[in-house]
Amino acid sequence: MSPEFEEEKWYIRLLDRIRTSRRLKIALLLGPPLVFLIIFFFSPFAIAIMYSLAMFEKVVHQYFLVPRISLEYYIKFLNLPGIVNVILKSFYYAIVTTVGTLVLSYPLAYYLAFKIPERYRNILVFIIFLPFWINFIVRVYALKFIMHGAGPLQSLLVAIGILKEPIKILGTDTAVILTMIYSYLIFMLLPLYGVLEKIDKELLEAAATLGASPVKTFLKVTLPLSMPGIIAGSLIVFIPAVGEFIIPVLVGGAATATLGLLIYRYFIAVGGLVGWGIGSAAGIIYIIIIVILSYLYIKLVGGEIRLA
Amino acid sequence: MKLTDLFLKVYFYIMLALVYFPIAILILFSFNESRSKLAFTGFTIENYISLINDRAVWVSFYNSIWIAIVVVIISIFLGLMLAYAIVRYNPKGKDIIDTLMLIPIIIPEIIEALTLLVFFLILGIPLSPATIIIGHAAFDIPLAYIIIKARLVGYDPQYEEAARTLGADEIQTLFRVTLPMLMPGILAAAFMTFVWSYDDFIKTFFTKPIGFNTLPVYLWTKLSRRGFSLDVNALCTFIIVISILFTYIRMKIIQE
Repeated sequence: MSPEFEEEKWYIRLLDRIRTSRRLKIALLLGPPLVFLIIFFFSPFAIAIMYSLAMFEKVVHQYFLVPRISLEYYIKFLNLPGIVNVILKSFYYAIVTTVGTLVLSYPLAYYLAFKIPERYRNILVFIIFLPFWINFIVRVYALKFIMHGAGPLQSLLVAIGILKEPIKILGTDTAVILTMIYSYLIFMLLPLYGVLEKIDKELLEAAATLGASPVKTFLKVTLPLSMPGIIAGSLIVFIPAVGEFIIPVLVGGAATATLGLLIYRYFIAVGGLVGWGIGSAAGIIYIIIIVILSYLYIKLVGGEIRLA
Repeated sequence: MKLTDLFLKVYFYIMLALVYFPIAILILFSFNESRSKLAFTGFTIENYISLINDRAVWVSFYNSIWIAIVVVIISIFLGLMLAYAIVRYNPKGKDIIDTLMLIPIIIPEIIEALTLLVFFLILGIPLSPATIIIGHAAFDIPLAYIIIKARLVGYDPQYEEAARTLGADEIQTLFRVTLPMLMPGILAAAFMTFVWSYDDFIKTFFTKPIGFNTLPVYLWTKLSRRGFSLDVNALCTFIIVISILFTYIRMKIIQE
């Protein structure tokens, strides 16, 4: 028997094994994606946590694991001047944005789901969602452009006499909040519309037939049924809003500092072993606060959360 | 009741106008003659001529596109493997995998970006287009998985069984029956992952090498450098037009 033939036999045997073994098939299919995510998603997390605990030391250009755990970066972060205000401000922006997008988009989602005949619905949904397919930074800049004191909107308002003189919006909290609500609206509108659209209209008719007023029908039927959308939307808006840094950089003032902005600054501008350490500590604190708050929120609202 | 309906309708159209208004103004002023003043002085396409002559725009556009294409290929391939294994073989630990796949989607992007940066630094891996692609794929694999899985769950395994009964082996069934039926899901996932990667700023910004720009990163460097220059409006308009084009292509795909 020639060696070539031997090799072919080995190859065929392997294929046969794969074909007949269910476990081998599962392993071959699950292996590559899971290994990729373990290496490039989950282990960076572990390493960032270790890094924030000062478990790495730099020797020349290489990093070495050292057997110690220290909270020095966390202490440095929590001792930054005005840090309490920075954290409070981040949460203030995020809460106002969440409430604002919820209040503004609920009537929109309701109108789309209940008041539009089905054949026009898709086109209207498309029209209202279209601007949100545009890049985030472009949308933020568009808002910055019209808020500018010398910009077209304010010049027009001054020219027709609505405003006496241009008001300074850019650089204020108002500018940050307006831009955040504008940019995050879609993340609230999508889950709300998704939930409302699936509500069986016959339920509402039944409530009306049984004598419930429209207000009562809304409060007792529609609102409770839309709760999963409200919960999902709030979390999808709130979680990234706390760490937002693009909007504070572009429309906030020089004094505007948020948690996201601090992380950005410590990584990009400050840098170095200590800068990255403080940045990582800030990131870990961010995650911990978010997990606790989301848990409390879901407990409080009492809903069962299904994100997928 | 009629009054509430009227209110909802008026409110809807006011909001629609408000959402479009800033973008319309932005596009209008990309044709403004005066480059520094923010009043419309006259019509010109000069901003676009300087945009076309700006080599950096085309380089970063090219980078955005090819990175997104590589990311789509990796994410669809790996996401499909995962979804197929989970739905067709129903392995133990399936619920754990489902939960794990949600984590990259829920975690704030800035956190994922910083953990990746620390990871590359500790391991001494220099930043390159490959590190950008890895970062994007870490988010897009779960995304592709969720979209493809939703499609795979929804369709009847009887077709596959029929193919097998008629004598097709598993590989033939996969390529002749399963994949063609999954095509709408795969295309939807490909579109979502492409747009996500193409538009991404935060992760790209943290994991890119110095001097390497994608389109959103290039826009960012222009915006954070100077205040107002209407060149930026032309660049933004270009980005808007491309985005609308992508959305149009997606519509066409969905219709088919």
